[in-house]
Amino acid sequence: MSRARPVFTDVIGGLVVTIGGIAGLVESWRMPRFEVRKADPFTVPGLTPGLLCLVLTVLGIALLIRAMAGRGGAVALPILTWQPGSAARMIFTLVTVVIYGFVLFGNVPFVIATTIFVFAFTVGAELLNPERKLSLPALSAGALVLAICSSLVVRAVFVEIFLVKLPG
Amino acid sequence: MDGLFHFLNAVAAIGFSADLFAVIWATLLGIVIGMIPGLTATLGVALVTTLTFTMAPGTAILVLVSVYIGAIYGGGRTAILLNIPGTPANAASALDGFPLAKQGRAGEAMAVATTGSFLGSLVGMVGLALVAPWLAEFALDFTSFEFFWLAVFGVVLCGQMTAMDDPLKGWIAGFFGLLVAMVGQESLHAYARFSYGIPDLEGGFGLLPVLVGAFGCAEVFVVMRQEATKLVVSEVGSVLGSALSSVRYFKTWLRSGVIGTFMGVVPGVGEDMGAWMSYAAAKRASKTPEEFGKGSADGLLAAETGNNAAVPGALIPVLTLAIPGSAPAAVLLAAMIIHGLRPGPLIMVTQADFFYSVVAMVFWASCAMLVLGLILTRPLLFVLKIRREWLMATIFVLCVVGSFAIAGRVFDVWVMIGFGLIGFLMRETGFPVAPMILGVVLGPILDNNLRRSLSISQGDPLAFVSRPISAVIAGLVLAIVLLSLPPVQRALRSGMSRLTTR
Repeated sequence: MSRARPVFTDVIGGLVVTIGGIAGLVESWRMPRFEVRKADPFTVPGLTPGLLCLVLTVLGIALLIRAMAGRGGAVALPILTWQPGSAARMIFTLVTVVIYGFVLFGNVPFVIATTIFVFAFTVGAELLNPERKLSLPALSAGALVLAICSSLVVRAVFVEIFLVKLPG
Repeated sequence: MDGLFHFLNAVAAIGFSADLFAVIWATLLGIVIGMIPGLTATLGVALVTTLTFTMAPGTAILVLVSVYIGAIYGGGRTAILLNIPGTPANAASALDGFPLAKQGRAGEAMAVATTGSFLGSLVGMVGLALVAPWLAEFALDFTSFEFFWLAVFGVVLCGQMTAMDDPLKGWIAGFFGLLVAMVGQESLHAYARFSYGIPDLEGGFGLLPVLVGAFGCAEVFVVMRQEATKLVVSEVGSVLGSALSSVRYFKTWLRSGVIGTFMGVVPGVGEDMGAWMSYAAAKRASKTPEEFGKGSADGLLAAETGNNAAVPGALIPVLTLAIPGSAPAAVLLAAMIIHGLRPGPLIMVTQADFFYSVVAMVFWASCAMLVLGLILTRPLLFVLKIRREWLMATIFVLCVVGSFAIAGRVFDVWVMIGFGLIGFLMRETGFPVAPMILGVVLGPILDNNLRRSLSISQGDPLAFVSRPISAVIAGLVLAIVLLSLPPVQRALRSGMSRLTTR
């Protein structure tokens, strides 16, 4: 009798949930109980997170057992249907948004940071598109116009109309 | 009669003020957002919420309700013309909408979808006006025990309904959301949980950055991960002429309206299920079920009526219990709280005028949707020509600025990106995102009411099931969990087959 193949993503998911649940349980247990303040033991801060972590641990173990038994995963998971260019597009997206969100935003004046991001993102995304029709100069010119317009419009809407103070 | 008077007053107040202009632009914006594949109603409402901080609370909610209704309707356009649902709520519309368009009847399909959406919204609006006051009065008897069970029920049911084939993952997502809500200062002892001395974490994760991340930023990742779809728009033909003829499907829109409204009320389920359930019911009731899936106007009407009826339906628990009926409704609930409005059982006592204003908002947004949908058919088709690669960078900028704007903290931008990644990974690995969001919204309700109940009952677990309403809700939670277990399902199936073969 051949053993069913574990559903790999579910094994990982089950492990993450179980380990996270146990870690949360330990942290909840370590939270103060305010005995010196004579606090009601049923109101201690760690009670609800502790119970939630307990439920998560049980659910995580159930997912893990199910995956190890080769059950579940009746529906094709999107992560298993990635096309050849998906990983490249995903890495590109991740790198650009992290650079914008963590490095540029807040440290560089908003309009400059946003113009750089929108331009780089648009050009890069189009270059990764196998059905790109625009030539590189035309693409760059279009992306630059889009980048300048969108950064100025977003700034105008938030700063001038909605009185939000943007960083940088 | 008092309610009708309040409603007519609210309709007049919006109709004779500058707010009517806000209804028009917000509904149009919603339609455009809904039409663009990859941009969902939740994303639209979340992004526009960030633009409403300086608006008067009433106007802000009016704008958001209009965007919500417009987006759910707009997604049907894409489903009909491109066979790509603009929002997940329009997936059922593509089944018959696209075959109709391929037969050269795109104009008729859009007319049917428009009238269906309009009539669905109206049925939902009537449901909202009738059911919500009754539910609010009923909920006045709720104590901490009932609210605790209600929060558990919401997460468990949402987990079950959004992951029908794998409720385990839906429940994990829901309980993860509840745990996320535990981060930061709790209300009874002002202790900062899971903060480790980091000042930003002591305030907890802002609801809006989490929402914008899990839906907006994650959407950017999902769209960029996929290959671009070739967009070939069918010919449209006459729209206005076909609108009146859809009145012949009177029974379908009434049935679908009621089903959609009911599905909207169920916590966290919302428009998608409203459309699918209405579609299934219409197919069962039809004299020509074989035409469904091949270009049945009846089927398209059922799907579009069902999803739009779910919008006012989803507002019923938002307003009366402060529990969202759908993912966009969760954002709307967050927006109400941000704007200082207090939805919940006391709404009919303390803010009856606001309640009837929301009903009037649904009315005006539905009217705007009908008019804009019928007269702007061709100009709106240009939206479909925008390439998504040219759109996603600006969408991400809006996610960043929107998350930052609420408190002026760069930390919220990091939270947004973090939850964007979490939301993306969840989608890719089959975990539904809606229960997580519902968990984040319901977390404080669950926490406060659990500890209050335990304190009142001095830890007696029987107190949680000794009151009639809490016993019923607890029984429902247990039934949902038990019925999802494979051995119970197998036993039920064999029992049923034995009964039928006898």
